[in-house]
Amino acid sequence: MIKVVSAPHIDETTRAALASGRAEPSLGLFIDTLMTMRGIDEPEGEIIAGTILEAEIISELSPHALDMVWAAIERGASRPKSGLVYEDLNQTPAFLQDAILAAEEHRGWAYGGPGIKRLVLDMPGDRSPRTTVKGATKIEIIRIDAGTKVPWHTHKGQELSLCLAGEFSDHNAVYGPGDFSVYDGATRHQPVATPNAPAYALVVTDDGLRFEGLLGALQKLFNA
Amino acid sequence: MRSDGAGSGGQGGSARETLAETDRARFADLLVLVATRQDRTAYAELFGYYAPRVKSYLMRLGADNAQAEEITQDVMVTVWRKAQLFDRAQASVSTWIFRIARNRRIDVFRRTKKPGLDPEEPMILPAAAEAPDARIEIMETETRIRAAMKDLPEEQLHLLRLAFYEGLSHREIADKLDLPLGTVKSRIRLAFGKMKARLEND
Repeated sequence: MIKVVSAPHIDETTRAALASGRAEPSLGLFIDTLMTMRGIDEPEGEIIAGTILEAEIISELSPHALDMVWAAIERGASRPKSGLVYEDLNQTPAFLQDAILAAEEHRGWAYGGPGIKRLVLDMPGDRSPRTTVKGATKIEIIRIDAGTKVPWHTHKGQELSLCLAGEFSDHNAVYGPGDFSVYDGATRHQPVATPNAPAYALVVTDDGLRFEGLLGALQKLFNA
Repeated sequence: MRSDGAGSGGQGGSARETLAETDRARFADLLVLVATRQDRTAYAELFGYYAPRVKSYLMRLGADNAQAEEITQDVMVTVWRKAQLFDRAQASVSTWIFRIARNRRIDVFRRTKKPGLDPEEPMILPAAAEAPDARIEIMETETRIRAAMKDLPEEQLHLLRLAFYEGLSHREIADKLDLPLGTVKSRIRLAFGKMKARLEND
């Protein structure tokens, strides 16, 4: 288990993977959220890509493209935009709130055991049946009521967990907003929310293969 | 409605021109107008500039003409619907729209069969010693990166395009350009390092 305390430095290879969309999307959202919560806004990769978009060649659009877009906008115009179910998450980064709102609209929070709720987020690629990968990663938000214990558990693969709001602890450490942990599949742990407030964690789980590179790299952070 | 406020290059060719600072600020104004007043004229101007470029981006990444047209329209609908989430202190319109196009593109066709990162490419490296207060504003970062990109040799800019825009791995770039992997890695690091240096030195 690792509790990451220092600010991760994201190298140019990783930035390219995140900016261009080559990185696994759940992992990308996790790292973006982590960096934003830590105040490490390093959008250089996306600035590069956005600037290259400006210099892109001009493709001819269908003559009715704008009309079709207006029509699509009209069709969806009445959709009400409501706030997040839990105000505690209002402090999270805007792009994460956007993902939360979409998930609340599509499927809502589900029962995850006594005092526990979970919200699975949609990631780019999820909706295309052609690209469904067996054992793909999953990203979700877990809400733990104040004082509630999550049952002891292990994972099939690795679990990345980032505290979004509130505070929880396990046998290794206490996690406040911006702290994150990495568990491998073999380690049992039991997070407990502190008694005064509910805790929220952004959790990515993989199929046991996908984050090998990440885990090794995170390890370097601690040996450095 | 103006036909093309940004004065970009000619029809069908490589535009090569990036936005001037004043146009960049004006596009942010336009998107804010879309968000606050559902301003259709402002939207139409943004559409005129970005939609043809987004379509080129999608075709560059493998979409055929019809598919690229459809996804572009979809991206531009999202621009209208999510305009209120645009924060001009956090991103330029180009960067913001690029993100939408990229995510929509991943929705429709994944470039890679294995979505994981190449294990030989490290995800996260140890933190360089850096005072957090020394960070500069994001929009200042944007300005400096743009300036640095203008100064890069074409060859290095091309490498950044392949890595950051088209999303090729170092291995794929090496194969495409017929260069040794180590050369690709060091040249990308050099090009990116030049921009980092530009951010750190006034």
